[in-house]
Amino acid sequence: MVSFDAALTIALMGLATYSTRLIGFLAVSRLALNARATRVMEVAPGCVLITVIAPRFVTGDMGELLALAITLLAAIRFSLLSTVMISVISTGLLRHLLG
Amino acid sequence: MQPMSKTAFYPRNEIKRGMKDSLPVIIGLVPLALVLGAQASQKGMSIAEVSLMTALNYAGGSEFAAVELWSSSPDIALIVAMTFLINSRHIVMGATLAPLLKHLSYRKTVPALFFMCDESWAMGLNDARSSSRPLSFSFHYYLGVALLLWFNWVAFTSVGALIGPTLTDIRAWGFDMVFPAVFLVLMRGMWRGRSFALPWVTSLLVALGAWLWLPQGWYVPAGATGGLLVAYLSGGER
Repeated sequence: MVSFDAALTIALMGLATYSTRLIGFLAVSRLALNARATRVMEVAPGCVLITVIAPRFVTGDMGELLALAITLLAAIRFSLLSTVMISVISTGLLRHLLG
Repeated sequence: MQPMSKTAFYPRNEIKRGMKDSLPVIIGLVPLALVLGAQASQKGMSIAEVSLMTALNYAGGSEFAAVELWSSSPDIALIVAMTFLINSRHIVMGATLAPLLKHLSYRKTVPALFFMCDESWAMGLNDARSSSRPLSFSFHYYLGVALLLWFNWVAFTSVGALIGPTLTDIRAWGFDMVFPAVFLVLMRGMWRGRSFALPWVTSLLVALGAWLWLPQGWYVPAGATGGLLVAYLSGGER
């Protein structure tokens, strides 16, 4: 069942998150971007993605860093599916061997 | 629109293509969803509450944070503030989509943006950039990715809540490395030369610093804006 407190929290979380999805889009959607802003928009996706995974780099564990390095090298060379396979298998193996 | 081959860009085919391309992401999404559901049920959330949260909020990072802060009488203001902070990156993400969706009405784009997550957004963008038609964002390809991911997220977080404590630690298997792998491959697709390195590395370093030294959640807006600021200051040249 759903308690009142839970329903209220979830509804407000949903509103907060949906607002983040709309704010930037609505703010920019009717603007003509100049060259500088266009360039920022091109670079922005990578800035967001690297930020999201940054905490993964905070570890003193050698196996973990090695797994990240293998993932990075695979990502430079291979397709999405191959990279995911290589990454999961090598991470799992390294954790079993070194963990 | 330019002339195109007969069947390639029919909406139904584009939706299917998006769903097919989502497979690698789902390999990582399913175990993560199971873990979130199991953690939530251990914190006292019912299955219905878990389904409701993952369906209406639909943003994994903020849901893990919410579950961590959850109790029988949750601190609503804290959870909602944390949710906004962690998802503040969507503001930048939505802005990058705006120029590509200009030709579509709000009636289409505003509901579609509800389903925008890191993966559906990045895959849609990447598809547009690797396409032979410049700046051609395939709305139906995006929908295919986004709807399939949403459905799987809600379904498997609910299953996780159902089977709860019997779930063993999936981290040992390496599935949590799927998202770094997916994001790095997508970043390779977005790379347009050496001028991208400075803002990206700045984002990484600022996020690392913020993760280590600032309160929970702040690393997201800090890292993203750090890189954007450097990109803006380094100007229009490439």
